[in-house]
Amino acid sequence: MKSIRKIDAIPKLNGSWKFLDDYSYEEMIHGQLLYSTCHHGTIKKIHFPDGYNLSEFTVVSAANIPGENIVPEPVCDQPYMADKEVFHFGQVIMGIAHPNRKLLREFIRKIKIEYEELPAIIDIKECLENEDNVFGKELIIDHRTGRKPDPNWIHHHKIYYTPHQEQAYLEPQGMIAVWQPKEKIMFVRATCQCPFFVKEGVETIMGSAIKEAVIETSEGIGGAFGGKEDFPSLLAGITSLLSYKSGKPVKIVLEREDDIQITTKRHPARIEIETWTDPETRKIMKIYIDYRLDAGAYQTLSPVVLARGVLHAISGYSIPDAYIRGRLFRSNTPSNGAFRGFGAPQAFAAMEAHVESIAADMNINPYKFRRKNIFRIGNEFPTTQPILENNLSDCLERVIEKSNYLQKLEEFKEWNKTHKDKKGIGISIGYHGGGYTGNGEKVLNSEVKVVIEKDATVKIYVANTDMGQGAHTTLAQMFFEAIDHPREKCLVQLPNTSKTPNSGPTVASRTIYIIGNLLRRFALKIKDELGFENLDDYVSSNQNEFPREFRMKFVQDPSVVFDEENYVGVAYKDYSWAACVTEIYFHADTYQIELTKSWNVIDIGKVVNQKIAVGQAEGGILQGLAYGLCEFFYKAGYGRMHGFSDYALPTTMDLPEIDVEFIHTDSPIAKGLGEIPMDFPAPSVRNAFHNATGIFIDEYPLVPERIFKSLTADERR
Amino acid sequence: MKIKFILNENEVSIDVDPMKRLLDILREDFGLTGTKEGCGEGECGACTVLLDGKPVTSCLVNAVHIDGKEVMTSEGIAQEPLGKLLIDCFDETNAVQCGFCFPGFLVTSYHYLITDGEKNPDKIKKALSGNICRCTGYQKIFESVMLACERKPLISTDQVN
Repeated sequence: MKSIRKIDAIPKLNGSWKFLDDYSYEEMIHGQLLYSTCHHGTIKKIHFPDGYNLSEFTVVSAANIPGENIVPEPVCDQPYMADKEVFHFGQVIMGIAHPNRKLLREFIRKIKIEYEELPAIIDIKECLENEDNVFGKELIIDHRTGRKPDPNWIHHHKIYYTPHQEQAYLEPQGMIAVWQPKEKIMFVRATCQCPFFVKEGVETIMGSAIKEAVIETSEGIGGAFGGKEDFPSLLAGITSLLSYKSGKPVKIVLEREDDIQITTKRHPARIEIETWTDPETRKIMKIYIDYRLDAGAYQTLSPVVLARGVLHAISGYSIPDAYIRGRLFRSNTPSNGAFRGFGAPQAFAAMEAHVESIAADMNINPYKFRRKNIFRIGNEFPTTQPILENNLSDCLERVIEKSNYLQKLEEFKEWNKTHKDKKGIGISIGYHGGGYTGNGEKVLNSEVKVVIEKDATVKIYVANTDMGQGAHTTLAQMFFEAIDHPREKCLVQLPNTSKTPNSGPTVASRTIYIIGNLLRRFALKIKDELGFENLDDYVSSNQNEFPREFRMKFVQDPSVVFDEENYVGVAYKDYSWAACVTEIYFHADTYQIELTKSWNVIDIGKVVNQKIAVGQAEGGILQGLAYGLCEFFYKAGYGRMHGFSDYALPTTMDLPEIDVEFIHTDSPIAKGLGEIPMDFPAPSVRNAFHNATGIFIDEYPLVPERIFKSLTADERR
Repeated sequence: MKIKFILNENEVSIDVDPMKRLLDILREDFGLTGTKEGCGEGECGACTVLLDGKPVTSCLVNAVHIDGKEVMTSEGIAQEPLGKLLIDCFDETNAVQCGFCFPGFLVTSYHYLITDGEKNPDKIKKALSGNICRCTGYQKIFESVMLACERKPLISTDQVN
């Protein structure tokens, strides 16, 4: 729980910590992407503008690819660059480089592309309503009992929609490629989450033209939130190709508008839920969920998002009879991808709204209805994985108590009787399975390495990046705390694929949970093997043994057995749990929801660094609240947003007071924290709005325009 | 166009395209890469610097606007006693996450500290509302600035002047 300070805080504050765009190489030129402005069509002709010396530009397209034109992904179906046909707006057609960044932008802006347009699906609802658009493999969790619903069970059937969400990392996507022809090595400096994904991306596009790609991250990675999981593979591929062709180092940093319009976003979802509830016991007895994601034009990693979506779709309720199906839908929009939560926020958006609707309809207090149905020891997930702890229920009880929920419910009811503005209070719960789904961690087979130097400095080599979450501070802390070694003598090295073993990607809330716990065990193992009490003393009296390298691999717990065909078994070994209560103030004249306070109780097990953990939770919670409240990415007739002017990120003025409490911190295991803060808060906003006004809105975000429409529609009724 | 201005207390001159953005002048011509480009449209505040003592987004300021003026960047502020105080407070609360927005927050917070400095959450919220942070949810940033306001009197006036 020690809140040691971050190793990178001071250099980040005084501006000396280098982010991607702060690196420069001799003779470096600048690159940009030329992408499709047509949603679907064949490219007829590309006109370069007059008045430029074309020989000064380096241009690469699909025709120049020495390797394969397919980005490595869980499903390999997306080309780096379109060949003849484009399948979505924003599809890359060419990479272009020039020594002058400004001139390059001007040149690219003036390029005209003629298309023969073909039919396209760009609207989210048009995509998700039509089952002809289904592609990829359908996932089914079948936990049906075959029992017919009793006639007195109350049937609820609703459809919920969630929108895109933009990661909005403050540092745009960027890449520098430096071709080293003598060694046939493509060196890439990357702002990314997964250096080994980038390596594979570069080696795939370059094929036998290179011997190896070596990826090193920039010192600073200016936020990622999932957005720098797979897009960097594509960007690094094209940047490398430009460097290979020009013979010069090439840097591409995306303009914010390009970054917002063409990179991966959170998948929009349509989630249909049918339930049957016993009015006597107030238990949900049967559920059917149809979980649909708009994947964009290609599947890429969407099947994995879909998997997590269906595995979290039931929220935290024990329902004896469940059938969940998940499907991907194709549209002519850029592929959607990873974003903190990874399919779970959509799931909770729907189910946490749905239980609220049932409770309202049956005139039951929303807390008491949840308490009746919540996971307890002895229950199981729809995959038959047993529930082994009551920690979710503990989170709920604690947040109800500390927010004074029951009393406020009454107070607000009274207050609202005499006021035009309204006050509301809402609950939501959530959880997140740590690490890769199912057998994923076994397949990843993560390895870490440490080198102990002659002065007893411990250098830790992991491929996991620090993109702001403080991973390099916390990972080092887990190692040195285990063997009581001085903090300043234990440092995580900058990830570099030629020096760092593959400890897997920095995703899936796995960095502390998988790699951190592995490092802790590793430290103890080294201590045991060498038989020291104090590492400093041991090294100084055994100088000839050092420097010495140690390696260790992650071994999955044997209880994790998951049948990926039938979706039966243990999907995740450990879950983080959370519950939230949010208060709002609704301004009746402007239709605005003002967030006033949000209480959050989270179980992430052992908390390694209290301040880092609280900070990460607070940031995720605000992202989560904003997902429900204000982040609007696509509007029919307007299209996608263009930048931070029209995409409404929360500022300091939108911030409620956020209270975070961790419970069950005496656990021996540090569980996942990265994603859960994003998963659960959004539905509390929607439920608080219902509490304030009696109106249900089943689509995010709850912007004034939507509220206005909904309220006036209600009056018309 | 030849322009002269004061950059972090040093007089400098440069021959430059009058429309070149101050952000690019700082980063490319003076190697001051602490000032970051987050959006290029004056929304995110990552490129905030002080221009004649007022916070501006340097992506919207051109060379022609800074002739004869005084520019202070995060690197300059980091050397000031109150800048050091702020850095220490941000560090102590573990407020910094990815850090890309922080040089901008440092400049804006510094401006608040020298022009007002009252330990007042509403005022601080308003003062920082032009800077976007996507990692922290802002809470720890407030805590840091509140802490700096509290400790400001401990920094001697001699040091500040």
